[in-house]
Parts: sequence; structure tokens; C-alpha cells
Amino acid sequence: MKTDWNIAAKSLDNALGVIKAVCHETPKVAIILGSGVNVLIDVDSPQVLPYEEVFGLAPTVSGHAGSLTVGRVGAAQTLVAIFRGRFHLYEGHDWSVVTLPTRVIVEWGITKLFVTNAAGGLNKQFQVGDLMVLTGFRDMQHPKLKETGLVPALMQPATGCKNALTEQILRTGADLHRENAEIGALRQGTYCACLGPSYNTLAEIEMLRRLQCDAVGMSTVPELLTAAGSKTQAAAISVITKVWGDGKPMGGHREVLEASHAASSRLDKSFRAVLREL
Amino acid sequence: MDWSRAKWFDFTGTIKEGQFSRFGNEVIEILRQSPPPKLAIVLDTAFGWQHKTPAMVRDHINLSGYNPLIGPNHPIGERFPVIQGIYNADDAERLALETVVVAGLKHGRRLSSDDAEFMHVLGADCYCFNVVPTMLVAAHAGCKVLAIVGPDNHTWQAEIAAKINELSSCAR
Repeated sequence: MKTDWNIAAKSLDNALGVIKAVCHETPKVAIILGSGVNVLIDVDSPQVLPYEEVFGLAPTVSGHAGSLTVGRVGAAQTLVAIFRGRFHLYEGHDWSVVTLPTRVIVEWGITKLFVTNAAGGLNKQFQVGDLMVLTGFRDMQHPKLKETGLVPALMQPATGCKNALTEQILRTGADLHRENAEIGALRQGTYCACLGPSYNTLAEIEMLRRLQCDAVGMSTVPELLTAAGSKTQAAAISVITKVWGDGKPMGGHREVLEASHAASSRLDKSFRAVLREL
Repeated sequence: MDWSRAKWFDFTGTIKEGQFSRFGNEVIEILRQSPPPKLAIVLDTAFGWQHKTPAMVRDHINLSGYNPLIGPNHPIGERFPVIQGIYNADDAERLALETVVVAGLKHGRRLSSDDAEFMHVLGADCYCFNVVPTMLVAAHAGCKVLAIVGPDNHTWQAEIAAKINELSSCAR
């Protein structure tokens, strides 16, 4: 599929036009939520816009609602834009569509972006339901890799993505864990974005472990690459929805959704705490 | 192994049954026909190794940067297919074959010797062009795969095909 930059640019302008007709103030924070990750359900004075209205199209995958909610959170009434659901390369969308919500966030002038996803745990110390802050990533899904294959990209080291925002999340997470041991310690590590839609083979899992990746999923890297170099600082968190163990059967999409629902309440507490600190 | 609805996919241009020059829509259509095959028997050429004899595929690493299941999901299978346990390598011993992990590359792409060495570090023994996309479409359609890869010549296919046919007729 070729990128039609005219359509892509128009979609960006259209989306901003639709949003700004309803929201007259630029939010302080944006959040993009992945599969079944459901946080900040109760916000004050919410305005909800379906993706169809904003972007002209809706996600095709169950567990990805496809709506933008703008509302206020906490005592400070921080204005937050919550993007529920995203567009994926495996759906057949091209790069300009997949990055559209992030480009809207950047152009809107939101300076802080949190990205979440459901991911498989590669690090053998991880458990289902763990939250991992991304300190690095590998990109195995960019359309340009179709021309080169993955070998040249895999020869390069992972890209670091630590910044003041990731440090903030890690600090807040450590504080929460100290106050209440039931809120597990945050993990940190390297996320690998694969194209999907099929899950990985065991040989691929083993390869990603050799490359010292800690989690694997099908998203988030387009968002991080888009925000990089803009005025929007981005941080990403993976909800670990499965961990490959020896001889354990592999779950499918339903298991992923169940695990990410369960972890959502802890992620919700973390987000609200981080928002208080901003 | 369920031999009753087996289909041959020979990408080496040797055996008479099920010849295909490369993976493509024709292969996809057969794997999604009604009723779909239960077993895809795949022969493909492998590169990036020193083997003079064929080997049976026990797993793969997709290094192509592509997946044939991209796009709207075909209703024959799940949006996110689990693709572990699809290769059937149980009969490797009876066929006197070693098992290998193959890397899947874009059709016609060759690796330099440095790149091939790196591919070995990643865990693949050799690379090929057709096994991986065929397996992905087969797995999605609920079909197992018996895949054999061999050197780039026509010396091994007939013997392998005869052995597989013998196994299949014994099983029935």
C-alpha cells in the first residue's frame, strides 16, 4: 500500500479540526491505550469523540474501542486526552494512518504522551500482569524493512527511549510500591515491535531473548518514533499479558484481554499518581 | 499426522505434483479452499548453509519484514493466530532426516556471508523464500505443515517424495 501524503495530511487537519471544534483547550497529557488496557474510566466533564468521527475510520480489532475522551483528572483537574485503541500495520494500514493519532497529539501541542500496550513477556523473571516501562525498543515492523529484510536492523543495538517522563513514572511507581506492597514493583526493559498479526514461533521467541528484548508486541514503536524529535515527550508502558515458559501452552487473544483487564487497575493507580506529580 | 487431506507444494520445480514457482495467491487459495487441507507438504530450496542433503523444518524465524496475513482478517481463521506446534517434524527420524530452523526471507533476496553468519547467531540454520509465508497461511487456516528444505539442485526431491508417499500410504 502506497502512502498518499495528501490524504494523510488532510486526515491530520480534519482530525484537528473536529477535535478543536469541541475542545477549546489543549490537554496537558495524552494517553494512547492498547488492547483491553482500560484506565482513567472516570474522568470529570468528559467529551467523547468516536475515532470514526475524528479520523474517518475505526480500528477493526476487538478490545480496541476506538474513541477519544477529553476530560479532567484528580484534584488539580488536569486536562487529559485519552485515545482508546489504535491503528495497526497488521490491519493493512500504512505508516501514515498508524501514526495519525500521535501526529494529532504532536500538532495539537500536547507535550506529554503516555503509550500503553499489551505485550508478551520474554524476560523470564516477568509474570503475567506485570507493568514494564520501556527503556528501549527494537523496530521489526517499519515498512522500509520489507525492502531490506530484518537482518540489517537486528544487527543494530536497541534504541534507547529513557527521558524525564520515563524517570518520573519509575519514581512514582517505586513510591507506590513502597507505600503498598500489593502494587507490584514496575519492571523496565526493551520492547520489540513485530508486525503480526500471527504470534511468534518458539524460535522467534528464542531469537528475541538472545537480542535481550524483555517484551514483544505489535505496536507502540510507531508512536515513539513519531514523537521523537517533536516537542511531545513520550513514555510507554507494557502490560505483560503472558510469559513463555517451558512447555506451557500458548494462550490467544482472549487470554491477552483477560490479563490486561486485571492489570488495568494497577496501571490506573500509577497513572493517577503520575498525573498528580506533573 | 492427518494424511487424508494432504496437499503438496513444491517450490523447487522438481516433482510433478503441486508445483509452484513461488508463494503467492495461488498457494493461498488452495490453503483456503473448502474443505481446507489438513496437511501442507512443502518442498523448498534453502540457502546460507553447507548441507548437501535435505532436512526437515522444525521451526522458523520470519526475517522477511512481511506477513501474508496482514490486512482484513480472512474468516477462515483467527485475527491473531497462534503459530506454535504447526510444523510436524515427528517423522524426521523415519525419513532419516535432520531437523532445522529456517529463516524466511523476501523472495530472491540473498544474504552476504556476514549476514548469514548473523542469521546463525539468531538461531536459524539456513534461509528460504516460501516455507514461512506458506506456513503462516496454513496455520491460520488450521492446517499443519510438513516442510523439507534442501540444496539448490534437483537431486533429492524424488527420493523424499517417494518416502513421504510411502509413509502416507502406511498411515492410511
